[in-house]
Amino acid sequence: MFDFIRGPLLWVAFIVFFGGLVFQLLQFFTLTRKKERLFLSVHGKTKGRWSIESMRQWFESLLTTIIGTHPMMTILTLIFHCCLFVTPIFLLAHNILLDESWGISIWSFSESTTDILTVVLLVCGALFLLRRIFVRRVRAITTASDYLILFIIVAPFLSGYMAYHQWFHYKAILFAHILAGEVMLIVAPFTKLGHMLFFFLYRFLIGSEYSFGQGTRSW
Amino acid sequence: MAEHGEKPIDRERIKAFLERNKGKMKRLLSHCVHCSICAESCFLYMGHDKDPRYMPSYKAINSLGKLYKKKGKVDRDFLERIKTMVWRDCVLCRRCYCPIGVDIPSMIALGRTICRSQGVYPNFDESDQKESWL
Repeated sequence: MFDFIRGPLLWVAFIVFFGGLVFQLLQFFTLTRKKERLFLSVHGKTKGRWSIESMRQWFESLLTTIIGTHPMMTILTLIFHCCLFVTPIFLLAHNILLDESWGISIWSFSESTTDILTVVLLVCGALFLLRRIFVRRVRAITTASDYLILFIIVAPFLSGYMAYHQWFHYKAILFAHILAGEVMLIVAPFTKLGHMLFFFLYRFLIGSEYSFGQGTRSW
Repeated sequence: MAEHGEKPIDRERIKAFLERNKGKMKRLLSHCVHCSICAESCFLYMGHDKDPRYMPSYKAINSLGKLYKKKGKVDRDFLERIKTMVWRDCVLCRRCYCPIGVDIPSMIALGRTICRSQGVYPNFDESDQKESWL
């Protein structure tokens, strides 16, 4: 069983993850073939892309986003998402496995650094959970799937932390860690976690008032 | 209730509306992470003591979201329940801000289209009107 989850199932997870993302991407471009030039902006555009005035306007427009209305939430989500991507990619143990399997070696953080990043991510996850339980407006739209998705995201990090510190039964925790990571990869393209891709597509490519880029695509 | 209130619901027409917009709407609904950050961008939410029922996401999830969940198999009572959400609690000013970029107004607009197609819309001349539309 252990050989299965660290062998074929891992391949399945990666294929579903990357294949799913490509599939979603292709469907998005098919559905948004229509193009239109929109001139919607809270603040008028000035000439000179890198002029001080245009940069001031760009900064002002940022204040109308989550950065201005929820600065604490912005910091929290930014830290959470950075840790989510950076920690597993630059984790020494993962890179040793990569080196042993394929001879590919990438730069890694020290073990203590990734340990701290994992704790930071878990704290952020706990704060999201508390927010979901105790903040009235979040609770009003929370469903069981929101808790499940949060658990799916946090589980590989929690089990990885426990495995690294050799809490409980090491092999069982490592088994759970690999499985949790694979589940996360498999479900990501087809659930709410798909916003990892669609955030960029929606905010940069779809033409709207809140578009970050010069989005011209339309549904 | 609108003047066509007694007419039976044309579920096939509702399903056709849902199917035609499925590619976009199902994606938008599935990518809403239920963070509630859109709340403050709605003046109706702010003007109603921050009542969560006025949050843009709440309105979209509980109107169009439920229509998709039920696959269009709804009765008139259901449409009457979502009527206030799509017609009164949202004015489609398009000011709602979603950090992920979910186009909430388009979801409410489709909810309105579906309700209107079944004759469910506010009628200001009704003498037995029980709820305020202002």
